[in-house]
Amino acid sequence: MSILSTLFTVMRKELRDLSRDRRTLALTLLMGPLLYPILILGMGKLAESRVKSQIDQPLEIPTIGAEHAPNLVRFLAAQGLNATQAPKDLDQAIGDQRIDVALRISDTFEERWREGRPALVEILQDSTRRAADVPTARLKAALQTYNGQVGTLRLMARGIDAQVARPLDVATQDMASAEAKQGMMLSMLLPLLLTITSFLGGAYLVMDTTAGERERQSLEPLLATPAKRSAIVSGKIAAACMVGIASLVLTLVAFKLSAQLSDSSVGRQLNMGLGSMLQMLLVMLPMLLIGTSLLTFLSAASKSMKEAQSHMTWLMLLPMLPSYALLVYPLKSVLWQYAIPFLSQNQMLLKVIRHEHISPTVWAIYLGANLGLAALLWFAAVRRYQQERLAISG
Amino acid sequence: MIVAEGLHKAFNTKTGRIQAVQDVSFRAEDGRITGLLGPNGAGKTTTMRMLYTLMSPDQGRVTVDGIDANEDAAGVRRRLGVLPDARGVYKRLTARENIAYFGELHGLDAGTIAQRTEALSRALDMADILDRQTDGFSQGQRTKTAIARALVHDPRNVILDEPTNGLDVMTTRAMRRFLHGLRDEGRCVIFSSHIMQEVAALCDHIVIIAKGTVMAAGSADELRAQAGESNLEDAFVKLIGTEEGLHA
Repeated sequence: MSILSTLFTVMRKELRDLSRDRRTLALTLLMGPLLYPILILGMGKLAESRVKSQIDQPLEIPTIGAEHAPNLVRFLAAQGLNATQAPKDLDQAIGDQRIDVALRISDTFEERWREGRPALVEILQDSTRRAADVPTARLKAALQTYNGQVGTLRLMARGIDAQVARPLDVATQDMASAEAKQGMMLSMLLPLLLTITSFLGGAYLVMDTTAGERERQSLEPLLATPAKRSAIVSGKIAAACMVGIASLVLTLVAFKLSAQLSDSSVGRQLNMGLGSMLQMLLVMLPMLLIGTSLLTFLSAASKSMKEAQSHMTWLMLLPMLPSYALLVYPLKSVLWQYAIPFLSQNQMLLKVIRHEHISPTVWAIYLGANLGLAALLWFAAVRRYQQERLAISG
Repeated sequence: MIVAEGLHKAFNTKTGRIQAVQDVSFRAEDGRITGLLGPNGAGKTTTMRMLYTLMSPDQGRVTVDGIDANEDAAGVRRRLGVLPDARGVYKRLTARENIAYFGELHGLDAGTIAQRTEALSRALDMADILDRQTDGFSQGQRTKTAIARALVHDPRNVILDEPTNGLDVMTTRAMRRFLHGLRDEGRCVIFSSHIMQEVAALCDHIVIIAKGTVMAAGSADELRAQAGESNLEDAFVKLIGTEEGLHA
């Protein structure tokens, strides 16, 4: 009996076994595809509507000392920033998030203004709060415009060309491609969701076929057959990979379909071509093998299903690590990062999302390193299956 | 034919090293039912596990039809039909699918599997349960399925760990007939039990195991003579040296 036919026999049996368990199968296959598009599109929609309402709509800015600078207040009002009476407990209000941003015009404003010296205005905000970002930026920009206009007028009144006071003309040119800019939102979520799907998508099946089979005491008769243990393990891993691939394909198709139904900008970015989708599948394939092999290894070492499941907590964290690491320590494109599991998936998926060209070298490093790790974990799982105490249940 | 020679096996446990099997030797000839009889925890299951190569002995060796289990474990497994202590039939598969799965793992083709399933189903009287999912099977139905699964490749040697455990009287009688049938076909059958009547009724050769070692061996008559007791039960108790764990 060849190894390959044993592998197929075991895989067929595990898939048939799973297919009889309809509810588990449905949860495994459909949870991601139904949930993720709603998550991504919903969050995109929310973000878009927040930015839109904060940019277009007039904002109320609680202002202290508005009476000291009526001209400034009028100018701000023309920009859609209406000064209102500041409450007495302004600090408290900002702390409680009742007020996003406030303005304080100093008591000495009028006096210093008349003397032509810098007059103090203070922006009050909580810089750790995302909701305050847009209003603060609007207020800052308006104050700067006013600053520039009045400054120019003053110089002109003294017969000086305003250009003299501007030795530098600083302009920023954003080199990011239009797709990259749009993909900001997507680049946060999509790699994470896809990596989790492929890393842990087959988790239930893997645990059930190893720790579960042991718990149900069917592993002993199975291992008493002449079938090679490496083939039995590989068959179980292959079955979990099939389920994983199916769940990945369904997820991608769900993204595609929901993108076509949605009119938001996130929806437009999700509308991936067939080429991108195939590239994503190729990127996720090693992750699938790594995940199922690692889980097989862990499950084979567990005495019970319960013990195997308790590994999920730290396993769930692994795919999230690179996102957080990149947040605090953004990486430039260097080759070695394509060899690090989880980080490399993140970076490769980002490249696909941003429609960047992926060089053959990068592909080679990526596939080599990750498939190498998968092979190592597979070997470890096979070694576990060779152990005597694995077969003994209870 | 299965030969065990000087088998030793010890386990490390929390409370220290336990010598589960110590110097167990016996021969199970073809065309004979050999019974391993002993109280619970005597080392029967560990001995059986070494016979079907799931465990390798610390010392000693097992040969099946002349093949050394240490050298060619896969070859030994091919010649064995094993009903382990743990039945473990797959609940979501039908009895027929359970049997076919093991047939495929033994490398049989679909035609042979169908033919063997038919024959075993007749011998074990399981035609009415063959195409039902085994979830909800009675203990007897599960045991039948597990036995059919173990014998799908038509092995010359059959090892059964407590096959009548938990079966009702009618099923037990049917099981005895089935085992006699296996013997009459010239197979080597090893059978373990802690129930004395069971072993006495079935076995041509009895190996009494207690405290991990062989206390006595022979036919029922020989054992009676050896112990100097006319009653088989008294002979067993005398040979084992204690009544503990032996169900009468």
